Amino acid sequence: MTAPLLKLSRVARTYRNGDVLVEALKPVDLEVDAGTCVAVTGPSGSGKSTLLHVLGCLDRATSGTYLLDGRDVTTLADRDLAAVRNRLIGFVFQRFHLLRDETAERNVELPLLYAGVRRAERRRRAAAALEAVGLSSRAAHVPGRLSGGEQQRVAIARALVKEPRLLLADEPTGNLDSASGDAVLAMLDALHARGVTVVLITHDPEVAAHGSRQLTIRNGVVAEVHATAPGA
Amino acid sequence: MSSLLAAFVEGVRHLRRHPLRAALAALTCAVAIAVTVNVVSLSYGMDEDIRRDIARFGRLTIDVGRAPVVRPGAPRASFGEAELATVRATVAGLDATVVPLRSERVTASGDAEVRQMVLAAVGVGFPRTLAISLKAGRFLRPEDRGLAACVLDESSAKSLFPGVAPAAVVGRTVRLARAAPADVPVVGVLEDPMTYRALFEAFDEGRGARTLISALLSFRNVYVPEDAIASAELTTVSVVLPDEARLATAYDRLVKVWPAGGVDADPATLAPINVFARKAWMDAFGGATQTGAFLGNIVWILVCLVACVMISTLNLVAIRERYDELAIRRCEGARRRDVVAQVAAEGLVTSVVGGLAGLPLGVLGADVLARIVMFPFRFDARFAGVAVLVSVVLGLLSSAIPARRAAALDPAAVLSRRLS
Ligand SMILES: Nc1ncnc2c1ncn2[C@@H]1O[C@H](COP(=O)(O)OP(=O)(O)O)[C@@H](O)[C@H]1O
Ligand SMILES: [Mg+2]
Repeated sequence: MTAPLLKLSRVARTYRNGDVLVEALKPVDLEVDAGTCVAVTGPSGSGKSTLLHVLGCLDRATSGTYLLDGRDVTTLADRDLAAVRNRLIGFVFQRFHLLRDETAERNVELPLLYAGVRRAERRRRAAAALEAVGLSSRAAHVPGRLSGGEQQRVAIARALVKEPRLLLADEPTGNLDSASGDAVLAMLDALHARGVTVVLITHDPEVAAHGSRQLTIRNGVVAEVHATAPGA
Repeated sequence: MSSLLAAFVEGVRHLRRHPLRAALAALTCAVAIAVTVNVVSLSYGMDEDIRRDIARFGRLTIDVGRAPVVRPGAPRASFGEAELATVRATVAGLDATVVPLRSERVTASGDAEVRQMVLAAVGVGFPRTLAISLKAGRFLRPEDRGLAACVLDESSAKSLFPGVAPAAVVGRTVRLARAAPADVPVVGVLEDPMTYRALFEAFDEGRGARTLISALLSFRNVYVPEDAIASAELTTVSVVLPDEARLATAYDRLVKVWPAGGVDADPATLAPINVFARKAWMDAFGGATQTGAFLGNIVWILVCLVACVMISTLNLVAIRERYDELAIRRCEGARRRDVVAQVAAEGLVTSVVGGLAGLPLGVLGADVLARIVMFPFRFDARFAGVAVLVSVVLGLLSSAIPARRAAALDPAAVLSRRLS
């Protein structure tokens, strides 16, 4: 096997709430091979989102080292972290997090904008990504005029357009009815099938079953549930 | 680089989508720029025009006349042929031009009647006491005697012959309503010595030359030959020297004859005759216009600072409402500097648009104000540059704090709703 895509050594994240230190993520050692779909479960407030933010280079570990694709990202400057988020990592959130003033198409173009891709190319790739999630007809709609399921598909298209190595999904079905949730999960499965590494956070065991590997978090402590062969 | 440009474009798009806020910021900036242009063009115009007026006033001229302030109860000083002779004798050998002036009030009429004009009987060297030139015709010559010829200053010509060009006034006749009414042909029109009378009157110190200055400032002079007024009394004797060195010598000699008095002198020793060097007055006045310009600068800088604080606050409030948007952008790959560029672009574009709108507003305002208060006003193409520059600085300054706030934002905290 080649080197793991994600390699965390004693990575911890501590928040300071006034005088109180909250150990949201206790020191964790974790390796995730490329192409894995990791499902992370745990009760509310256990540190799932914290882990996801650290993995996504949206937040910095307070201690430890985190190698992403062999590169130590714990020491990177803001602009390099931004580039990592921009090129390697797709995000899907429970609350979609779309720009509410922009059309679906412009939302999908957003990462390309910061990658310095030219306008014509941006439009072409955004259209293709929307097509892939079945929303070509909604390209000109702003999020407010889309259903929750459609908004989440736009978010997936926005992740897709980056052609990411890693997809981080934080409770992606949490705000959706089961039909829309299933559609979203099917898309994540398809991405996984295409070799994208997926970290899927959920508190729904049924959703967690989509993972090829299961982790739980409790009080900031990450534990392996059981391992299955990659690609299962 | 291209992503910075993209961030800039995003800023502009954002403005288009929030026209009310953008308009408010632009309007604030427009007002600030209008005030700036207004104040700058007024004070620049004032500075420029007053300097020109001052320059015309005759830097190398000394005026000798009856002191405006005298010892209480003192008899009226005699000021006539004897004093004129003393002046001539005192400045002898300095290559000086000595110009006596007698004056009286007169009602004159051309196409229109004008009361309270000043009939000024002057020596032929009179134009040399001022740095002004003829608008039309010629000045009085030695061969002009009595009321055979007169010269008007431009304002006199305008009020006596409304709507007639200076050149066409030459050859017309002015009727002077004296004991024996006289019809005097106009042989020339002199440039007005000053443009901004009100300002000069405010600074008229009244040291000896008041009579002459007031007469000049009235713009209502009808100049006639030296012998046209028979009075033994002189109003003023003006002495023009060829250079500053001889000016200083002449002044020293004259104040030996008539010691310097003036408003601050001891009333017991007040000289009945006053010697006044225009140069001193001009220098003092030049300083005063600089003070005016300085105060003007303080006004517009203060106004711009207030505008900056207002726009800053406006942008800051807007940034708080945009945490989500900014966090999403950061999440999708915007660097801190992209966010800063976007916020700065928003500030820059609103204030430059506002500045460009404020520019004509300021020019118009200055023009109107200048007419009302009779202030000089000058607009210069460079002011457009100043306005754009000031609005750029305003835009950058007013987005500095909002941009810092935007850059300091923690996207993870915002996206997980721990900040809002
Ligand atoms: N930005 C923050 N500042 C302070 N405390 C935080 C912050 N983010 C998370 N926490 C704390 O860290 C713990 C884990 O939070 P989180 O990772 O959001 O949990 P989960 O996603 O599993 O619900 C919680 O106790 C939470 O209060
Ligand atoms: Mg969470």
